Amino acid sequence: MTVLYALVGAAIVGCAIFMILSRNLVRMLLGLSLLATGANLLLFIAGRIRTDQAPIIKEGAKVLEDAADPVVQALILTAIVIGFALTIIMGVLVLRAWRTQATVDARKLESAEAMGAARARDGADE
Amino acid sequence: MFAILAASLAGACLMPLLARVIGRGAGLIIAMLPAGLLAAFVSMAPIVERGWVMGQGRAWAPALGLDFTLRLDGFSFLFCLLVTGIGALVIIYSDGYLTNKTRAERSRFYTLILFFLTAMLGCVLAENLLVMLMFWEATSVLSFLLVGFDSRSPRSRRAALMALQVTAFGGLMLLAAVLMIGATLGTYSMAQAVSQAPALAASPMGAPIVACLLIAAFTKSAQFPFHFWLPNAMQAPTPASAYLHSATMVKLGVYLLARFEPVFASVSWGRPVVIFVACLTMLVAALQALRAENFKSALAYSTIASLGILVLLVGLDGPAATVAMVGFLLAHALYKAALFFCAGSVLHATGHHNLRTLGGLARFLPLTAVACAGASLSMAGIPPFIGFISKEFLFEAQLQSSWELAPLAVAVLVNAAMVGVAGVITLRPFFLGKGKVTEVEHGETFWLVAPPLVLALAGLAISLEPDWITRVALRPAVAAVYGKAVEVDISVWHGVTPMLLLSGVVVTIGALIVRFWRQIHERLRAIERFDLYALERLWDHALQGLASGSRAATLWIQHGDLRRYLVMVLVAMAALIAWSTAAVGQKPQWPAIGELRAAPIICALVGLGGAVAATRAKSLVAALVATGLTGFALAITFMTNGAPDLALTQFTVETLIVVLLTAVLLAVPLANPVTRTRRMQITDAAIASSVALLLFIAVVDMAARPHDAAASAFFGEMSYVAAKGHNVVNVILVDFRAFDTLGETTVIAVAAILARSLLMRRGRTHDVVADLPVHFSLRAAGRTLAWLLLAASVVILWRGHDRPGGGFVGGLVAALSFALIALAYGVDRAERALRLQPLAVVGVGLLCVLLSGLAGLAVGEPYLTHLWWEPAGLPKLGTTLIFDVGVYLVVLGSVCAFLFGLQREASR
Repeated sequence: MTVLYALVGAAIVGCAIFMILSRNLVRMLLGLSLLATGANLLLFIAGRIRTDQAPIIKEGAKVLEDAADPVVQALILTAIVIGFALTIIMGVLVLRAWRTQATVDARKLESAEAMGAARARDGADE
Repeated sequence: MFAILAASLAGACLMPLLARVIGRGAGLIIAMLPAGLLAAFVSMAPIVERGWVMGQGRAWAPALGLDFTLRLDGFSFLFCLLVTGIGALVIIYSDGYLTNKTRAERSRFYTLILFFLTAMLGCVLAENLLVMLMFWEATSVLSFLLVGFDSRSPRSRRAALMALQVTAFGGLMLLAAVLMIGATLGTYSMAQAVSQAPALAASPMGAPIVACLLIAAFTKSAQFPFHFWLPNAMQAPTPASAYLHSATMVKLGVYLLARFEPVFASVSWGRPVVIFVACLTMLVAALQALRAENFKSALAYSTIASLGILVLLVGLDGPAATVAMVGFLLAHALYKAALFFCAGSVLHATGHHNLRTLGGLARFLPLTAVACAGASLSMAGIPPFIGFISKEFLFEAQLQSSWELAPLAVAVLVNAAMVGVAGVITLRPFFLGKGKVTEVEHGETFWLVAPPLVLALAGLAISLEPDWITRVALRPAVAAVYGKAVEVDISVWHGVTPMLLLSGVVVTIGALIVRFWRQIHERLRAIERFDLYALERLWDHALQGLASGSRAATLWIQHGDLRRYLVMVLVAMAALIAWSTAAVGQKPQWPAIGELRAAPIICALVGLGGAVAATRAKSLVAALVATGLTGFALAITFMTNGAPDLALTQFTVETLIVVLLTAVLLAVPLANPVTRTRRMQITDAAIASSVALLLFIAVVDMAARPHDAAASAFFGEMSYVAAKGHNVVNVILVDFRAFDTLGETTVIAVAAILARSLLMRRGRTHDVVADLPVHFSLRAAGRTLAWLLLAASVVILWRGHDRPGGGFVGGLVAALSFALIALAYGVDRAERALRLQPLAVVGVGLLCVLLSGLAGLAVGEPYLTHLWWEPAGLPKLGTTLIFDVGVYLVVLGSVCAFLFGLQREASR
């Protein structure tokens, strides 16, 4: 199972990267969401795929018996929520970009990088 | 000597302030400072006269070998006399010259001149090479500031930049040489370096040291091919040109060469290179001096030629060469500074500096004409002026040295050209061409006339009465440079000698040049090669090339194309992973396949299918659905592998993503046009596949190795015993690693604030979602379903400590209930249902999280240590609950902020 999950996780990351390299901001956003999903799966493998027992101490017991790795799960749980917030913030930015620049093409979003002609900036020179 | 340097520095800071108060005439008072320094040096003459060396030192940074050591010997003494003496005259002259400048500008000029004086003294007095380097660089910087004094003129700025770039390049070379000397000998003492010259030259770094020293000296003393900065430096006010660019600073290169003569003489190519460069410089400069149209340019080129002669004399061996070098150094400083003063007076009086348009100025500037004639006679080497004596020495040195006659021939020619230039610059502006100038703007004043007259007279007086200066300066200087005492006999008449005959030849040729100057000048000007192949143009091209090169590099790196940035990052990342994997040198391991279960396999493959479909989707909605499919498949994968908490969270998150991104998709165009060419797509696919492959290998290899589960085991054992929780994942989040969770909660809160500020409501909006047709079943059941979800979220929150659930999931589920209301009845309804502003909910939540940690502090435990209360018969209560409620509220508020903001913005 581990090899299969690793294959699927790596393939999801690959698909996500392909989408992120697109210049359509919405595709990039979906790619980012996909990237978080793939990364979480790969992270999950780090805790090893051994059992379907949840890391919950049974009633009456004092210590955890054989169960899945809880540390990795705690990590992934916050990663899911943070990845979600990241995706949504990116969505907010895409929406704002569409509202102000009327484009979702990364190539056309240049107002932050355009600095004007060199001459116009150096008005003081000569 | 420390006292002198300190006085000079303090004076440089304070004295120029007088110019702000007094205005005209302040120069006379300020000139008292260099005059006083001159007197201080003269009082040390008895020490130097005996051939003694005066040393002083203070420890500064001993660990670096940097001691502030000074040394006064004959050669330094000669420089100190010139620097202070001419410095005083320069300041007096400036008072008359800078009449059209404001008080502030005059004050600035005096400050720079006095700082320069200090730096110059420090440079020639320094014994430690690092200290010398420091002062050397200071002179370069001050030269830059003085050349660019008229900072509003583009030509001045260009000239200043050129001077700085060339001399600072030389300064870097000197730094390299000094560091190499320090590394070889273990000391930065100049005396040590010179005394161990053969060892230094024989060391592996010998050749680089000599090369760096020579380049440093050639840049500073404007030797070919670095000479071009000096004529441009004439943009400086004339007093500064007279001081820096003829009398003192440009001689620092000669000073350096003279000090390190034993070092460069110890390598076989040292002397030939110096002599060759000097001869080349002399020839180029002499031709350019005859070509120059401008009074100051002619002087500048003749200065370069003179510096060439000095460098040649340093390069020649034999005591006579040293005597000639020291004598010429003094003579040149005196007459060239005087000539610059005269040129400045002409410029000041007429506003013109073209030699062809000037004439008959002797009528208006009689005393200046006298001074100019005196200085020119010295420059031409006409007896009885000091220039004559120094020229005799020059020829004697060449005849005595072991070199071929080529340098002698060059020297004769160049000296003849100097005679010609001297004649032209005196006769043409002042005595010939009467009537060319009919009126002058400014007449002569005491300030303008006294300094050149003093210098011209000094040139005459020294040659007629040479005893004192020979005793206190020239003889000790020669001894200091040559290494042992040499008899220096200065007298005008030596009898009929070969030197006198050569002088006769020189003067004859010079007289012919004066007679036919116009023809020679125009013939030379007609040759455009001088301009075409000028090194100055090379410098210009180099600078332009540098600017356009960096512009191209910037455009190449900072091109603004997001895709290419990402490609660069990903390729670099893949290369790093591949390199580090290869560096380990082990083959990746393969884990045991283990039992295969059909359902999880299908589920994983569905997830993979979703991801592939997302990349191929023609519509963005399809891509969103496919992405969601992958997310849900992952949730099921979590579920079947013992991670119910993750499954729950992933389900909720995927649902919320679909709801929230639908709002975005409602606004933006849904078509998914091709933004990449076919080739780009293939490249991207290759990059994505490589990264995926590398990740796959890395993860598989990691999974095949033993699992270090020490942390997991600890949490598993302590979760109930120490933290009273059955759900280990939740206990880790709210208790063991509560501080991490606090950070993550804050991140979410910040994201909410960011979204809120980006989606601030601007003007009235109408609720499109409310107008959208909503399915009857959703509208009918929405309210009930929302209540159920809210109730479920509270249960999830409450039981999270012992069973799957917790603040994160609970908050997400609660937000889902509000999303449902928004979908079914519109955003307004959802906002009313929440009662509070979303950000207020976030704030309350963050406060809960922060306060829940204080209880631990109250009982003396670290922050975020949770406390428990277990009343009999009731469920246990702990501060973890407050913490989890805080997380719940932050997540709820944040998602609501996203939800309301996005839906409102989308519906505008």
